[in-house]
Amino acid sequence: MPIRVQLDRVLLERRMSLTELADRVGVTIANLSILKTGKARAVRFSTLAALCKELDCQPGDLLSYEPGPLDDVLDDGDD
Amino acid sequence: MRLMRALGPGSVSSFLKIILDVVFVALWVGVGSVALLMLAALLLSFNPDLIGSITMNVGGGGELVKKWPVVIGGLFAAALYLAGVLVIVARLRQIFATLMAGDPFHPDNVSRLRVIGLALGGLELIRYAVWMASAWLLPGQTKVEPNFSLTAWFSVLVVFVLAEVFREGARLRREAELTI
Repeated sequence: MPIRVQLDRVLLERRMSLTELADRVGVTIANLSILKTGKARAVRFSTLAALCKELDCQPGDLLSYEPGPLDDVLDDGDD
Repeated sequence: MRLMRALGPGSVSSFLKIILDVVFVALWVGVGSVALLMLAALLLSFNPDLIGSITMNVGGGGELVKKWPVVIGGLFAAALYLAGVLVIVARLRQIFATLMAGDPFHPDNVSRLRVIGLALGGLELIRYAVWMASAWLLPGQTKVEPNFSLTAWFSVLVVFVLAEVFREGARLRREAELTI
């Protein structure tokens, strides 16, 4: 997936733990981990808005684009 | 209709699952009975004297001896048919277990539905085979009508299409799981 999630970096800058962010945003730690490790397929605008609000940042601070293959996670194992 | 829940515990699905459980047990009893009968038939075919005494007891004279291949063939067909139905019911039980858990688009349901479709087609083919065999072994006495059932093949196709619908459902479910 060429979209990278920079949650780690932003959390480090804010000195905030993943658990604390999960509590504030109202997303489970499991889901935030999926987002942090780049396994997520999509992010809801509502989640993105909540993350930006709690981390006091812009969507561009959390997401970046790096050219690369668009690996389709969803086709794994099904066929 | 909204009062009746289709999915989850205590719903129509769980009621149907109970019925399927009962049918599943009954089918195993049926399979056991047919297996015992086949075993008995095999033992008797090794010992022709016993066949004679049984036919004497039955009072049919040499009727059973003449029809021996038919009896074994009939038992074999019954065993095949029961096995096919057992495969279908076993897969249906697994599917209904996922419905009870409120997770209808479980990825495994795709292959389960495909197996059900194949088994339905197989059962229909067995029916044709039984008709042909009975017409060959018992000319003029066959009671099985050689009707080509469009409904059966239609259901096979519908089940295969449903399997693909479930595949799409499973894909969407996975996508939803990975949407944060």
